[in-house]
Amino acid sequence: MIKALEKLGTEVLDGLEMAGRTCNLLLLTLWQMLQPPYRFYPIVRQMYFIGARSISLIIISGVTIGMVLGLQFYYILARFGSVNLLGQGVALGVIRELGPVMTALMVVGRAGSAITAELGIMRTTSQIDALECMAISPGKFMVGPKVIAGILSVPLLTHIFDFVALFGGYFVGVVMFSVPEGSYMNGMVDAVQWVDVRLGLVKSLIFGLLVTLICCAQGYYMHLTKAGSQGAEGVSFVTTNAVVLSSIAVLFSDFLIGALLP
Amino acid sequence: MTSPTPSLNITGNAIEVRKLTVDYGARRILSNIDLDIPSGKVSVIMGGSGTGKSTLLRCILGLKLPTSGSIHMLGTDITTATTAQLYQLRKQTGVAFQGGALFSSMSVAENIQLALREHTNLDESTIQIMTRIKLDMVDMLHAEHLMPSELSGGMTKRAALARAIIMDPKLLFFDEPSAGLDPSTSAELDELILLLRDSLKMTIVVVTHELESAFKIADQISIMGKGIILATGTPEEIRASADPEVQGLLHRKPRETVVDTEAHLKALVGETS
Amino acid sequence: MQTNITSTASYDLLTLSGEVDLHYSPTLRENILGSLKAGKPLLVDLAQVSYIDSSGIASLVEGFQTAKSAKLGYGLLNVSSPAMQVLTLTRLDKIFALYTSTDQFETALQA
Repeated sequence: MIKALEKLGTEVLDGLEMAGRTCNLLLLTLWQMLQPPYRFYPIVRQMYFIGARSISLIIISGVTIGMVLGLQFYYILARFGSVNLLGQGVALGVIRELGPVMTALMVVGRAGSAITAELGIMRTTSQIDALECMAISPGKFMVGPKVIAGILSVPLLTHIFDFVALFGGYFVGVVMFSVPEGSYMNGMVDAVQWVDVRLGLVKSLIFGLLVTLICCAQGYYMHLTKAGSQGAEGVSFVTTNAVVLSSIAVLFSDFLIGALLP
Repeated sequence: MTSPTPSLNITGNAIEVRKLTVDYGARRILSNIDLDIPSGKVSVIMGGSGTGKSTLLRCILGLKLPTSGSIHMLGTDITTATTAQLYQLRKQTGVAFQGGALFSSMSVAENIQLALREHTNLDESTIQIMTRIKLDMVDMLHAEHLMPSELSGGMTKRAALARAIIMDPKLLFFDEPSAGLDPSTSAELDELILLLRDSLKMTIVVVTHELESAFKIADQISIMGKGIILATGTPEEIRASADPEVQGLLHRKPRETVVDTEAHLKALVGETS
Repeated sequence: MQTNITSTASYDLLTLSGEVDLHYSPTLRENILGSLKAGKPLLVDLAQVSYIDSSGIASLVEGFQTAKSAKLGYGLLNVSSPAMQVLTLTRLDKIFALYTSTDQFETALQA
């Protein structure tokens, strides 16, 4: 019993320590990014990696989610005889919730894990030490471009996701189930207001920051954790950790933002 | 030809370590280390694994803060220095890490050029020529466009050395230059280290466990035991040292031949009934 | 580092003194390429150089290459021993034309 409590205690302390380090990394990186010289090319490169190379995945998952949503909403709404609300349902669901969350989770899986693995390998093979010894701050060189690219890419990806998901819903509703096209389109346009779009945008910005920051911190501070001395096995451990933690952070902050912003 | 007096300071100590103590949790890794690294000389820090020589190097490089003690490098105490001071010092030092630590996403040439691109405003053509000069020095011109994953162990070490000296540092650190290399490659590296000392007046610190190469290149040798420095001196002084541990290290005995066959068998296969 | 250019009818003489390092080699490069672009042979006097790093050497090499492709005379004069050591280390002592007097260079130009 006491053993279990002790274990719980150390887990909580470890978690808090890691949270502190993550915040520390954010401040450190911000500070270093503010120092000249400013370089934009690394940010573009990371946007290509995090953003551009995720587009096909985002399109496929977006269409699928839109179709699933259209299907389920159609069955539910058909029970109440109000299939003309299908456009509203799909649009609001996608723009307020599913778009930002699903995009962020996709980015976690595709780019986040790669970010952690890259930084973790750089840590275990002394590449980060080498940067330090060359008087190049790793925060500015490695972490900053990734985080900025995340903040810029995730909202853009979210909008692509939203667009194709709405198309997926349209396909199921209008093409498969012959919901009148006018009621689908007009319902969408009438129902979606600026607050809904704003909510999606705020969410995707915060998700972009959270995902890249957590994934960077897991790899960057790998040497301070138990995994630090385990080489390749340690890298796979922190990568799994990063995926789990950033997914949870996305879902939890999704709730928080939803509760705070109407 | 005229030979004006070199303006670089080649007297005194480049690094002075005083009362350096490092703890990892409850374990004491280094205790009360004093060490002087003379300018313009090759100093070798030698010791077996687990003696704390890597930790000492990490402290000197400012990668690890000691529990107590001071480290003065080129006049600045790096244990209390600001990040800006530390970075200023690091522009004058080069480090060749044990595993090379080449950036895996960049080609050999890009690895070598990185510091120049980040810290100087040199023209592209100058950067290219400088890169090739360094690559030529380590005999790696043919590997300019290779990626680190395509290099052999010896090539990796030579590329890492080229990267370490690209800014013509005053101070060069070399971690295990000959570990895992064939004798001829490691002899070439030893010669290069001496050339760098003589022609570029570099202060060079080599951390190694290889006796032979240590005695070949060193102006000063420091022998480490568990967390302490057993002896520091010229190679001759070290050879003449009366310290039994130093002598033990210098004359590593071959493993004893099996005397008690019964006991040896038991040790290998375990108890059998 | 200090530089001084004196022009004669047939060539430019660039005199360097002090330490040639990362901060000064861009200036050195401009001076060298400036003379050569103007179409004049160049002799670089290294007698007063107390230290030259690889960026300085790189500028000298670029000058050599430029002079060669423009078919202009190019040489180093009275290389000081610190500079000579670096040239030897980089195996460039065999590549550059080294002179011990301006007369020697002039003779070479006429040849």
